[in-house]
Amino acid sequence: MFLEIKGIKKAYGQGESRAEVLKGIDIEIQKGEICVLLGPSGSGKSTLLNIIGGIDNADDGYISINGEKIADMNEKQLTLYRRKHLGYVFQMYNLIPNLNIKENVEVGAYLSDNPLDVDELLNTLGLYEHRHKLPNQLSGGQQQRTAIGRAIVKNPDILLCDEPTGALDYKTSKEILKLIEDVNHKYGNTVLMVTHNGAIESMADRVVKMRDGMVRKNFVNPTKISAMDLEW
Amino acid sequence: MSKVKNPLRKRIPRELKGDFGKYLVIFIFMVGMIGIVSGFLVANQSISNAYDESFQKYNMEDGNFELASKADSKLIDTLEKEDVKIYDNFYVEEETKEVDSTLRIFANRTDIDRACVMEGRLAENKDEIAIDRMYAENNNIKVGDMLTVGNKKLNVVGLIALSDYKALFSNTTDMMFDAVKFGVATVTDQCFDSFGDTHLHYNYSWQYDNPPKDDNKAKDMGDDFLEVLAKNAIVKNYIPEYTNQAIIFVGDDMTGDNAMITVFLYIVIVIIAFVFAITSSNSILKESTIIGTLRASGYSKGELVRHYMTAPLIVMLVAAIIGNILGYTFFKDYMAQMYYGSYSLPTFETCWNAEAFVKTTIVPLLIMFFINLFVLSRKLSISPLKFIRRDLSRRKKKKAIRLNTKIGIMSRFRFRIIFQNIPNYITIFIGILFANFILLFGLMFGPLLDNYQNEITSNLICENQYILKAPQKTDTKGAEKYCVTSLDTTAEGHKIEGVTVYGVKNDSKYVDINIKSSDKDEPSVFVSNAYAEKHGLNKGDVITLKEEYGNKKYKFTVQGVYYYPSTLAVFMKQSDFNETFDQDSDYFNGYFSDQKIKDIDDDYIATVITQDDLTKTSRQLKVSMGSNMTIFLVFGIAMFILIIYLLSKIIIEKNSQSISMTKILGYRNGEINRLYVTATTIVVVLSILLTIPIADWTIGSLCVYIFSDYSGWLPYYVPWYTYIEMFVLGVVSYAVVAFMQMCRVKRIPMTDALKNNE
Repeated sequence: MFLEIKGIKKAYGQGESRAEVLKGIDIEIQKGEICVLLGPSGSGKSTLLNIIGGIDNADDGYISINGEKIADMNEKQLTLYRRKHLGYVFQMYNLIPNLNIKENVEVGAYLSDNPLDVDELLNTLGLYEHRHKLPNQLSGGQQQRTAIGRAIVKNPDILLCDEPTGALDYKTSKEILKLIEDVNHKYGNTVLMVTHNGAIESMADRVVKMRDGMVRKNFVNPTKISAMDLEW
Repeated sequence: MSKVKNPLRKRIPRELKGDFGKYLVIFIFMVGMIGIVSGFLVANQSISNAYDESFQKYNMEDGNFELASKADSKLIDTLEKEDVKIYDNFYVEEETKEVDSTLRIFANRTDIDRACVMEGRLAENKDEIAIDRMYAENNNIKVGDMLTVGNKKLNVVGLIALSDYKALFSNTTDMMFDAVKFGVATVTDQCFDSFGDTHLHYNYSWQYDNPPKDDNKAKDMGDDFLEVLAKNAIVKNYIPEYTNQAIIFVGDDMTGDNAMITVFLYIVIVIIAFVFAITSSNSILKESTIIGTLRASGYSKGELVRHYMTAPLIVMLVAAIIGNILGYTFFKDYMAQMYYGSYSLPTFETCWNAEAFVKTTIVPLLIMFFINLFVLSRKLSISPLKFIRRDLSRRKKKKAIRLNTKIGIMSRFRFRIIFQNIPNYITIFIGILFANFILLFGLMFGPLLDNYQNEITSNLICENQYILKAPQKTDTKGAEKYCVTSLDTTAEGHKIEGVTVYGVKNDSKYVDINIKSSDKDEPSVFVSNAYAEKHGLNKGDVITLKEEYGNKKYKFTVQGVYYYPSTLAVFMKQSDFNETFDQDSDYFNGYFSDQKIKDIDDDYIATVITQDDLTKTSRQLKVSMGSNMTIFLVFGIAMFILIIYLLSKIIIEKNSQSISMTKILGYRNGEINRLYVTATTIVVVLSILLTIPIADWTIGSLCVYIFSDYSGWLPYYVPWYTYIEMFVLGVVSYAVVAFMQMCRVKRIPMTDALKNNE
């Protein structure tokens, strides 16, 4: 199994204010799958994504990628793990304002020993003509494309997307989802996408539905459709 | 694909350009600071080298002594048996006519203590004179001018520096040299002989065959030599080189200056490093979600620490390089002028100063590096998730300080701003404290010296204190006989210095002391307030003094303090004086007189102490320090404005979204200023008020420590209006900054509140 999530528990606070956010999560994901983590606010899906991303730690259980458990890693090894295996996309694009679009993508490329060709990727992202512009000269959708470019340029094993369309309109959201799908097809990365938009599950290979810190449903999508055909 | 170069590097020039104003002011300030310090250290070292070399180059003496009469060959032979070589170094002292001064004139020196010619040449003809450069400058005398010395008109043909008069001390026990009313000069042998022997001093210099290796050895050898000398001749004056202020004062002064200015530089660098660190911390807060994303993507903490450290270090490095270039060129000459404006030094050549390079470049860079490393490492050590959530607090649960709801919302709002910016305000406080040190230093010397001068002139014993070579009668009205001698202090923890011991008549018109009974072994005395303050003496204390050129000790009981700020002095009954010093009961050797005494021949007068003699310290210090004080003033104000400007700018920038939001809510600019600018105003005004007494206490303690190293006593005095000046300068400087910040608040657009970080 490429990505194994086993018995993950996580709680915040102490005493009466203690809140169990994850109550024992077990998921297995195949390499190259698009996995959509679906659930309402507070269901624990972002927390799970952060634990997989090595930026938060579990109280119990483990995450293993290709047999490598991240709970055993120290701070330096975790940084290396993120550097080698992960690409992150957030709802807010978090681009560096005084670097242009190409340079923002290069920020990701710098982390890899074997990055994708930046210009080619910018073409794929439809950003090549905008490459010399600063982030604030682009639309929200274009900025999110740049953020995706920054995440995938290092050709990560896993692309973690936390509500990547949360701040975008319908049309732009579909374009971004299409882009994620294209990237998955083209480069074969495993994609974990957190969303509360139920319509997006249709483009996933695997759907994990969460509520109250638990997995309510975990299934392989038998009727996967293209992102451009999604409707909501 | 080849490895991509770190694109974050491209941010550095943009960051520098984007915050050009901030970096420029820091850069200019650092260039100025490093330039001044580098120039100072280079000048100091180069002059020190010239000073050290001068001992050999000009064949400096190991000491000199003055005899009551000319030494015969037998005496010279006896002395030279002590493994020393004796040289004649006679001088005459004459008044000058064109300027109010005394010149000590030597015959051209060919063997010992040779002169360095700074301009023109040495005297070659009978009517020519070469005078000290410093004295000439202070009295505006130039080569080619005519100078009337005694009753001779001489042509000034050269400006010189005599190697044994680097600081123009007319008397080595003086508190301060006097390059205004005292000078040295050389003339031809023929001219020298023509002055006659009325004002001739039989001064001799000596050199050891085997020079001592250090001051301890020099003291032992000097003491041995003095013993032989005192046994064979009447010694009027004895000054081994290691105690000769005219020679060593410069060296001591330069060493002290060197240490002081280096500490000064480091304090400034530490403050600037903290300003940078706070600036970087603010950038981190501003860019926290980006940092979180980068960390989540795999950027290490180290890479980000390096990234945020680069801009300050580049600014510092470039400032250090340019500062050093300016130091070696422009500032070096300026700083050298400070020394050449006080001392009669020989010419110097600029030397590469590795120590200055380390002190002004390597050490500041290291200070900047480590302070930034420390602050940034701490700041960037929190988890990527916290950065993404913009939760940069280290504590788990940050509880807001409760404020009484009876306090109006505007005041509570202001308090919150102050609490939020405590690190900035602490740095502002430290910056203001340091700026106030510098300001006080720049402002206090004028009033301090004026006060000292006023104190002395309004507390003179009389207009003219005559000291006679032998008792003489006078019919001058009001002249009063007294006795005087000089002893040395022996108190531990204080340097040995001369104390003038006066024996005055019981019902003296000039010295109002009332000593009723006195113990024969420990006679009762009054001590001058200068002596009492410097040595912490009180009524009932017993002081021990010793002979200047002997080992005999004397004990005195302090009966009271007599207000005489001019010098360290002891006043006793004339009868006690004569008994203590084994003189006849009617012995006297001087007159106090407000009138000039005209009926005693000059040959019988050893010296006349006038107001000019007593005020030479303040006069010389004013000449030496006057222009330097302006540097301190400018620097203090610059420091003040820089720190407040940078830190209040950060506060406004940090709160730009909140300011924008308050604008959306309908607050007017004036109201917003009252919140954000007034919070800083409160802190600044409080800081100024609190730091003035701290600066005053610190500088006061420092001055007492520094002044205790001088002979005599210079009391620490700051008039009330100086504190007002400091406050006003601080507030006016801040007003300029506050105005700039108000303009900044006005420029913040309402859209800021609605913007993402992009």
